[in-house]
Amino acid sequence: MTVIRTRAQSEFLRRNGSQIIVVGLLVVLAIVGVLVSDRFASVNNIMNILEQSVTLAIVSLGQTLTVLTGGIDLSVGSLISLASVLLSGITNGDPAMVFPAIMIVLALGICVGLLNAAAVIWLKVHPLIVTLGMGAALQGVTLLYTMGPAGKMPLGFDVLAYGRFLGLPVGAVITVALFLGTAFFLRYARFGRYVYAIGDDAVGAQLMGLPRAKVLLFVYAFSGFMAALTAIFLVSRFGVGQPYTGANFTLTSITPVVVGGTLLAGGRGGVIGTLLGVYLVSLLNNVLNYMDISSHYQLIVQGLIVIIAVSVYVEKKRKL
Amino acid sequence: MKNLFTRFAAPVLLCTVATGALADNTYTGAPRTFLFNPAQDVCFKDTSQYKKDGPYTIGFSNAGLGDSWRVVAVHSMMKAAAENKDRIAKLIITDAGHDDSKQVADIQDLVSRGVDLLIVSANTAQALDPAVTRVMESGIPVVMVDRRIESDNFVTFVTASDAISGRLFAQWIVEKLGGKGNVVMMGGQAGSSPSEIRMKTAMQVFNQYPDIKIVETVYGDWSPVKAKQVMQSMIQKYGQDIDAVWSAHGLMTPGSIEAFVEAGWADGTIPPHTTADVNGPMQLALKHKVPLLEVGYPPAMAGESIKTALKVLEGAQVPCISEINSQIAVTEGDTTPSIDTRLRIDEMVIANGPADLLVTGGMGPDYDPTTFSIDYPQ
Repeated sequence: MTVIRTRAQSEFLRRNGSQIIVVGLLVVLAIVGVLVSDRFASVNNIMNILEQSVTLAIVSLGQTLTVLTGGIDLSVGSLISLASVLLSGITNGDPAMVFPAIMIVLALGICVGLLNAAAVIWLKVHPLIVTLGMGAALQGVTLLYTMGPAGKMPLGFDVLAYGRFLGLPVGAVITVALFLGTAFFLRYARFGRYVYAIGDDAVGAQLMGLPRAKVLLFVYAFSGFMAALTAIFLVSRFGVGQPYTGANFTLTSITPVVVGGTLLAGGRGGVIGTLLGVYLVSLLNNVLNYMDISSHYQLIVQGLIVIIAVSVYVEKKRKL
Repeated sequence: MKNLFTRFAAPVLLCTVATGALADNTYTGAPRTFLFNPAQDVCFKDTSQYKKDGPYTIGFSNAGLGDSWRVVAVHSMMKAAAENKDRIAKLIITDAGHDDSKQVADIQDLVSRGVDLLIVSANTAQALDPAVTRVMESGIPVVMVDRRIESDNFVTFVTASDAISGRLFAQWIVEKLGGKGNVVMMGGQAGSSPSEIRMKTAMQVFNQYPDIKIVETVYGDWSPVKAKQVMQSMIQKYGQDIDAVWSAHGLMTPGSIEAFVEAGWADGTIPPHTTADVNGPMQLALKHKVPLLEVGYPPAMAGESIKTALKVLEGAQVPCISEINSQIAVTEGDTTPSIDTRLRIDEMVIANGPADLLVTGGMGPDYDPTTFSIDYPQ
């Protein structure tokens, strides 16, 4: 009995160790925040952190799936920029155009993802190169479309960024729902489990007859869709799309994924870890702001966290 | 390239002195934009609703650093806060690293930290509009400095006149070219208000002259290195057909002049350029005999924004747009009917000074940004 329990415990730790570490860090940061300022724990500040984390969370959700298959999507930043200028450019203040414009950019996201996957599968080019090239091409298209802010959104479109649902930020509620839905899909749907299988051992999965091409098409389309959705939330927050608005997301979307325990080599990790990673990054920036620490140090701290997280988790896999 | 980098971009060389005051022909009068404003009614804001007892906590959400102008501007703000220690309990400065998302988050954080007034230099005019508007709606006054938002949802905007810079630059080029020629327009950062306003107002002038052709509009991102790259490709494309370069600020002008020098243009043949504030382009213009117009955009406006913020919190009336004076100077022999200023570039330039020195910083003769330190309330 004891042996079984110990095994169960060690299995739990093996599966969730990284998430436990992130939760621990979240608690430490929260304690530091409370010690730094009595305003830190205010409802207003907590709502701010939840609002601020929405866009990073959604783009990282898509990124998590590509990393789980052993790939990566470096086109998300440019895709966000293109989708954002198209959304506000097509809408251009006309409420009747909001819905069609949203549909167009979401379809664009899916198409870009499918193209990425197609190049990975049939041209047999590494996803790093495919998506890097796609990102450069999309940035060029974006700048051909507009050199500056394009169009505008009608009044009321900021409800996604600033609206409240049951007292919580609308975006944060949607984010959590998306993550829970995806976690459920990955764990319980057969197709979801293929994502892990392909990332864990691509050759083995293929020998077993798993539909690698279909899984990759789905995963990159999902990432493209989430990047487009991120653009919609950004445009809601800014009121306009801009040609470089997504530039920083290419690399920052990877941070929560690796911090949350998903291995860059693929096959291990999950989206709940990513969500915790997103909250860690957002909380860290917030606490450092409260501590009057310059944003330059914030970048350094984020960089160090990524390197430490990757080194810790890589070591863990070697031991297994 | 290395030469350019070491001369203009290495931040360790940043330096500025208030040299303008030394020249006899420097303008020291009241703001010209106010005196020359033909409108009988000038917009003023009643700020009595924001009046409260001090000492105050003031937040400054900065778009970012990254060029010598912005470094001097932040130092000028710290200096103004130090000079008003009795009235300011705390000045909290955040730096968004030129990222709209980060700046919106910074603004939210500053508000939740309980600032009495927020000073904002917006990374881009449109993207920061909703965030700043929400702060105003919550009852916290916002003073914009250097870079405004698209709407008028702020108490006042402390600036030099971007519109006048844009128009003067354009009118001077038109007159230098006799109303006919090809112009390359080099904006700063796409979407930032100084860049957009200067370009828009320049076009109001250029559009009146059908023989002036804007062959291309490019962006130098306020950087001499980027400006040089961009101008090199313009020279490749248009060569001798470029008759003038309209540059939104002096941070980019030296890159453009260097591109012409390296492409083989002899002294005295490089087309007319426009500039602001920075020593380097003035040195290069004198050395290579480039016709140059300087209309300043002084970073001292950031210090002014602190003084304006205090006026707002004390309930005093403030202009809707608080414009501070710009110096206007040209190279010898390059006045035109409209740009008939007495101040000359060789009076403003610090001949032996660093190229990235800002001659309009207002920080005093001993200022050195690499060693600058001041005890301001924080």
